Amino acid sequence: MPHAIAMPKPGQFTEECTILRWRKKEGDPVAKGDILFEIETDKANMEVESFYEGVLLKILVPEGGTVPVQTIVAYVGQPGEPIPEAPSPPQPEGPASQRAAPPASNAATAQATPSATAALEGSVTAPRPVAVPTGTSVPPPPAATAVAAAISTPETPSKWRISPRARRLARDAAIDPSKIPGTGPGGRIVERDVRAYLDAHGYHRLRISPAAKELARREGVDILTVRGTGEGGRILVEDIRRAIAERPQLMSRMRQVIAQRLTHSFTTTPHFFVTLGVDMTDLLRFRQELKDRGAPYTVTDFIVAAVVRSLMEFPEFNSRTDGRYVWRSTKVHLGLAVALEHGLVVPVIRDADDLSLAELHDRAAALVQKARDGKLTPDDMTGGTFTISNMGMMNVDHFTAIINPGEAAILAVASTREVPVVRNGQVVVRSIMNITLSADHRLVDGAAAAKFINAIRSKLEDIARWRSEV
Amino acid sequence: MSWAESGSYDFDVVVIGAGPGGYPAAIRAAQLGARTAIVEREAWGGTCLNWGCIPTKAMIASAELAWQARHGESLGIVAPGLSVNYRTLLEHKQATVRKLSQGIQSLLRANGVDMIEGQASFISADRLHVRGPSGDRWLRVRRVIIATGSTSSFPPGVPTHARIVESRVFLDLPELPARLLVLGGGYIGCELAAMAAMLGSQVTIVELLDDILLLLDDDARAVVRRSLERTLGVRILSGRPAESIEAGDSGVRLRVGDETLEGDVLLVATGRRPMTEGLCPERAGLPLDPKGYIRADARNRTSVPGIYAIGDVNGGPQLAHAATSQGLIAAEDACGRSPRPNEHLVPGVIFTHPEVAMVGLTEREAAQRGVAVNVGRFPYAALGRALAAGEREGFVKWIAEADTGRLVGACAVGARATDLISEAAVAIRAELTAHEVGRTIHPHPTFGELWMEAAHVLEGAPVHIPPSRKT
Repeated sequence: MPHAIAMPKPGQFTEECTILRWRKKEGDPVAKGDILFEIETDKANMEVESFYEGVLLKILVPEGGTVPVQTIVAYVGQPGEPIPEAPSPPQPEGPASQRAAPPASNAATAQATPSATAALEGSVTAPRPVAVPTGTSVPPPPAATAVAAAISTPETPSKWRISPRARRLARDAAIDPSKIPGTGPGGRIVERDVRAYLDAHGYHRLRISPAAKELARREGVDILTVRGTGEGGRILVEDIRRAIAERPQLMSRMRQVIAQRLTHSFTTTPHFFVTLGVDMTDLLRFRQELKDRGAPYTVTDFIVAAVVRSLMEFPEFNSRTDGRYVWRSTKVHLGLAVALEHGLVVPVIRDADDLSLAELHDRAAALVQKARDGKLTPDDMTGGTFTISNMGMMNVDHFTAIINPGEAAILAVASTREVPVVRNGQVVVRSIMNITLSADHRLVDGAAAAKFINAIRSKLEDIARWRSEV
Repeated sequence: MSWAESGSYDFDVVVIGAGPGGYPAAIRAAQLGARTAIVEREAWGGTCLNWGCIPTKAMIASAELAWQARHGESLGIVAPGLSVNYRTLLEHKQATVRKLSQGIQSLLRANGVDMIEGQASFISADRLHVRGPSGDRWLRVRRVIIATGSTSSFPPGVPTHARIVESRVFLDLPELPARLLVLGGGYIGCELAAMAAMLGSQVTIVELLDDILLLLDDDARAVVRRSLERTLGVRILSGRPAESIEAGDSGVRLRVGDETLEGDVLLVATGRRPMTEGLCPERAGLPLDPKGYIRADARNRTSVPGIYAIGDVNGGPQLAHAATSQGLIAAEDACGRSPRPNEHLVPGVIFTHPEVAMVGLTEREAAQRGVAVNVGRFPYAALGRALAAGEREGFVKWIAEADTGRLVGACAVGARATDLISEAAVAIRAELTAHEVGRTIHPHPTFGELWMEAAHVLEGAPVHIPPSRKT
């Protein structure tokens, strides 16, 4: 019997995955431990190994297909073995499913409810963090339909929607037939509809070079949407190439999730922002001292520790609300936004309130490295209760971040600058770092936010306290 | 055209240089209503008409005729005792030049262009000084189009001697040298070498680079080189520098490696440099680039508003027809029209024996740019008309972009190649595919059918080439 290869469940809350690439072709020999295919979840890409030996007999889900976890995607067995008459795999879907969230995910314990860790820096075009609430399904992005229409090939309308002659005419003309109103039986598009559409859109006045038309046909570019730049508006090959380069492209699953979740957060959570300058002069000096002694602490480590301890003092910033209930987390699970090449991830330091500065440093360093290596699992990125987005290395004075759904606030950390400040009536040069708290006004008010952000500041500026700790 | 304050200027447009770029620019500006003047310091028609394209073609016509007559035995032509009267040949050349030069002058006059003889120099960006036979003139000008062209450049180490000449002097030598040495295997060197060889000179070409005519694809170059060497008996030493050059009363000696070549005349054809002497562009605030060119944008505008540079002097392709195209565009822009930018499809023609012509990308350029192409080649030897005319040598080829089928390059080597290339230029500019060219009815029997046949080859269904027997 061939072995069925199922789509793995890479994360506790992962419901479906997309096959990015098959590393083996049908007929390829497979050894135990060989990479069979690569998948993309809403949070991460990973490789899937074979537990079996033999030959890849059949691929059921092609590259680009998205299926629920545990779906059979392929068979491995001995050459010639018959493939079981499996129920055909679910139709691979677009990048989102509409399945309802499992009821458990709505259970009222903070533990079981995945919290999101996406954050979006408002005014800066920096990579964005991404993560998905587990169990919550992502509705199809509204763009998907528009995308399909715009890049459709002449095959778009299904067979019964368009007659073969009409389809051929549309293909020869290099236009998108899905926009044509049909007047045939049952609204079917027939040849005269295509001709009427071409006339109505001035198709016969278009000037287009033969090579450009050929390319448009081949690439499924609708000529009626292309602006010609040749003499008299003649459409040239470069115009078609530009149309191809500019046509809408499906965003990565990661970006779609970012788009969906942060839009939701930004439009349904009443954000307010509080900014404060932290005097980092002494801390930077202290850190240099530590560094000279060989201790590895980064500025981020101190910020993380200061935030974790402040959260313990102000539990309302370590909670979430739906506008009716408030869920207070008794533990701090701290999300750290990490910039990647094509997006951002937010790995979570779990039970951060139990950790010493040294432990926080180790955990943060390990998670950041894992993130950069693309090795984070979905579970590494869920369950956060508060997020820090640090753009200190990116040369910014100030920015605001969008609260991850399921959290009460997010802290945006900008670059540290030497600036003139007044101390005891004297102008002196100090290293100032602006931090901005974005908070959910449903949960907390300005006064609380002011106290909370000042608690973070005073911890960062209290060198005596840090000295006692390291 | 209405100029807002024409009163303060003597001319709306002044063109400096009446070569193949300058005089069309002046005519176009005048057609558009500008008060136009053109300044020429030497000869109406410039290098192209006086010492370049036209006179060489007049001489090559005689050379080809003599060659055909001497080698027409297989077509039944036997001409014993045939001789060339080089003086009459030169007279034909001069008469041709004179007639065309007069034609240009009368065209300029008929269009109301003010023709000023003399050396033009900038005083400022809108002031010119012209020193000529009829005295000094100072002109206030709104727009200036610089079309001063180029001149032959001698490499360092070449001595000055009457037996060492560049192309311009070579064309006026009273008699053809019996032994001609040519330094430089570019198109000028090869054309003149072929001409002299056809008229009976013993010719040697010395080229520093690996081969002659390096702008051609290998297949085309091989045909030309083979013909130069085997048919015309030209000796070609490529990939070797001329180490020393000595000239004396008895001749010129050229040392190449351990060999010493002797000739009556050495023709130096190693390149051309931009001509800006006496122009004083710095007074207009106009910089020269490190090689001495006046750089201009896609509509030939220099860095100084109101001043244009066209043709050889702007560092673009050094071809008369490119200059003409740029001249028209510059004039239209100077007159406030909004012309499309310069054409970038510039055919090249080389009047060797056989002729070569190309347009668009070569196969090598396509590979360098990472453009995947398909090639369709058709030989003269398979064309009825070519066999009838006794012209078996050569081929034409199409180069088509693989993903669109668009024709992006063409090359013709063989009889009439220089006339044939225009069809290819039209097809490429119009973005035709092999299909359109292949389905266009070409008259039979003509050389033009070569393009149709090569298009069929490109489409994989040639009628006049047997299918390759693959096993």
